[in-house]
Amino acid sequence: MNDTQLPRFEVFVQERRNGPHLNAGSVHAADAELALLNARDVFARRPECHGLWIVPADRVTARTAEQLAVEMPSSEPGESGRAETYRVFGKIGHKGTHEHLGRVEAASAGQAIRKAFDTFGSLSVTSWWVVPESACLESAEDEADAWFKPAQDKPFRDQAFYPVETFMRSLRRARESKEPRR
Amino acid sequence: MTTGEAEKLAHFEQRIARGEKIEPGDWMPEEYRRQLIRMISQHAHSEIVGMLPEGGWITRAPSLRRKLVLLAKVQDEGGHGQYLYHAAETLGATREEMIDALLRGKAKYSSIFNYPAAAWADIGVIGWFVDSAAILNQTMLARSSYGPYARAMIRICAEENFHRKQGMEIVYRLTQGTPGQRLMVQQAVHRWWWPTLMMFGPHDADSPNTPVLVRWGIKTRTNDELRQEFVDQTVPEARAFDLSLPDPDLRFDAASGHWRFGQIDWDEFRQVISGHGPCNQVRMEARRKAHEDGAWVRAALQAYARRREQAA
Amino acid sequence: MNDAQRQAAVEYLLSLGDDELVLAHRDSEWTGHAPILEEDIAFANIALDEMGHAVIWYRLHADLAGKDPETYPDHLVFQRTAEGFRNAPIVELPNGDWAFSMLRQFLFDAAEQVWLEGLGRSAHAPIAAAARKIMTEERYHLRHTRAWTLRLGLGTEESHARMQRALDALWPFACDLWTARPGEHELVTAGICPDGGSIWRTWEAEVVSQLEKADLARPKAVQPTGFDRTHHTPHLTESLAEMQSVARLEPEGVW
Repeated sequence: MNDTQLPRFEVFVQERRNGPHLNAGSVHAADAELALLNARDVFARRPECHGLWIVPADRVTARTAEQLAVEMPSSEPGESGRAETYRVFGKIGHKGTHEHLGRVEAASAGQAIRKAFDTFGSLSVTSWWVVPESACLESAEDEADAWFKPAQDKPFRDQAFYPVETFMRSLRRARESKEPRR
Repeated sequence: MTTGEAEKLAHFEQRIARGEKIEPGDWMPEEYRRQLIRMISQHAHSEIVGMLPEGGWITRAPSLRRKLVLLAKVQDEGGHGQYLYHAAETLGATREEMIDALLRGKAKYSSIFNYPAAAWADIGVIGWFVDSAAILNQTMLARSSYGPYARAMIRICAEENFHRKQGMEIVYRLTQGTPGQRLMVQQAVHRWWWPTLMMFGPHDADSPNTPVLVRWGIKTRTNDELRQEFVDQTVPEARAFDLSLPDPDLRFDAASGHWRFGQIDWDEFRQVISGHGPCNQVRMEARRKAHEDGAWVRAALQAYARRREQAA
Repeated sequence: MNDAQRQAAVEYLLSLGDDELVLAHRDSEWTGHAPILEEDIAFANIALDEMGHAVIWYRLHADLAGKDPETYPDHLVFQRTAEGFRNAPIVELPNGDWAFSMLRQFLFDAAEQVWLEGLGRSAHAPIAAAARKIMTEERYHLRHTRAWTLRLGLGTEESHARMQRALDALWPFACDLWTARPGEHELVTAGICPDGGSIWRTWEAEVVSQLEKADLARPKAVQPTGFDRTHHTPHLTESLAEMQSVARLEPEGVW
């Protein structure tokens, strides 16, 4: 097997204007620009999208609440010592998906997890993700119309487009009038 | 099993009993992981192979509305395959491995897609039967104990209702149409009824994986339960359309409130899943050709990305 | 609009719709067969957009021709023979490989961008509004096809060779996109459509600069293709035979 399906990027979708970015899944793409374009095509086919973030999957550091109960990373900065901004995502409770909670400054992914826990720990997060902000790529605000408006003109992707209940009702009524109930 | 393992398993099963979702990174039995990868990847392959029978009709759809809708539907199936491969990837499977297994004929996918879509009316009946069946299955899986699988399913269910409804709209139009259109849809109904019943898989008694899948909350209902619900839902719809179903034994059992149906031809089912259905070979050839024809494209993208990285 | 202009606009809008429809049809043939799953979905989006644009132009055409905009577009697509189609031959050529399809899409998107900018200023308000709406989607297409042209042009020796071959084959057809459309002269004078003869340089500049970035050489001499919007290649007849095969089973049927 010498095939490649190309690297994987996690995708975050902003479903409500000014709402948090939510993890929707991932895309395989050769580079970040194509990943962002493909994220639009895969995850913004329906109207509820106002913005996208992508990040290479191998730059995500994840810990579940179960893992943190066994081993909590130290709040020490670790070896590198150079602080950078991490975006923090958490899955709250057992419904829903990872959503953006905020940012922390940390010198390592481990420290970022710890700081995320210390900052947002009251939210009953069951799974944590931290990603360095420098690894994220975002859809541009001035392109939002070109990227996300077209989906609004595709009403046929919504079940409400099809008057199925209406014609099934009329078919049943026609049938009942033809053969009255015994 | 060591004491530690037994404790972990007990803890794991308690979590599932409490309705918690298992997330990647959480402890899980190897068998849970194995079963999930098997199921999710089969499900993903089914979506991808499922693009083919309908995809062949995009260029022949008989109105602009039907053309747009069918294209969007087949595209959604690609999207659903994409979401599902992702869910399997969170368990450590790679898309390379999964696709390789599919192309080498080592992976299963839904038996239904090895039947031909012989006429335009089949597009309506596939939406009505096959997507209705899929929705029943997927609504159950949206409650699955594995978080990423459940999330993929929630997304898919939200989109899939459109698939069923566009199919019913086609069926409706044809039943209200000319005698030729009516005949076309009646024939399609006869072609797809039994394959759709088989799609739910073997009877519970012959389904070795079911007990463990139910115990660990991967599935919450059995093949036979889902199949019965499909029949109970679809028979009245067929009667409303005034379309006959090809089963002389079909009758309403007032005592149980269920529609009873005849014997499923399990020999045919086994033939189809073991690669001898009417279209297994065509489907795999189409997938392989797309994959091989695309190899130079993927190589070019990779080369460009590598060069850019080196330059940076 | 006077009668002559209205007649010209009817012809012109038909050619806009036919370009979009035939290209969408070709693009949709990739669905289920693209080189990677994500791009399968992406290319289907492009096909869907183009098909939607065809409907927009056909409805305007119907409006001006005094036909029912709800039903007439289907009649146009499913009841006409190749002789009645007014698309440029570039969109009817078979898909070839991924390089050919992607490059055609890029050349077309770049041309469409330039037309739409002109049409967005049309003296006929419904055309101007339609053009501005379509342009929103086209902006994304161009972003997508530019990115791909660059990567395939610069990727590997093989991808570069395939792109250059595609360009050599497509270039004369792409230039033909700019021969005057039916009704164009009449409409330019009235400020209803842009003058292709003067705006095509904008397209050429955009396209050539992108091709250069992708290390692709524009063919020096342009041989006439021998086809135009009224003389089609046999490929269009074949496509239409397929496209209309179901609809023609019951020409009066509702589907």
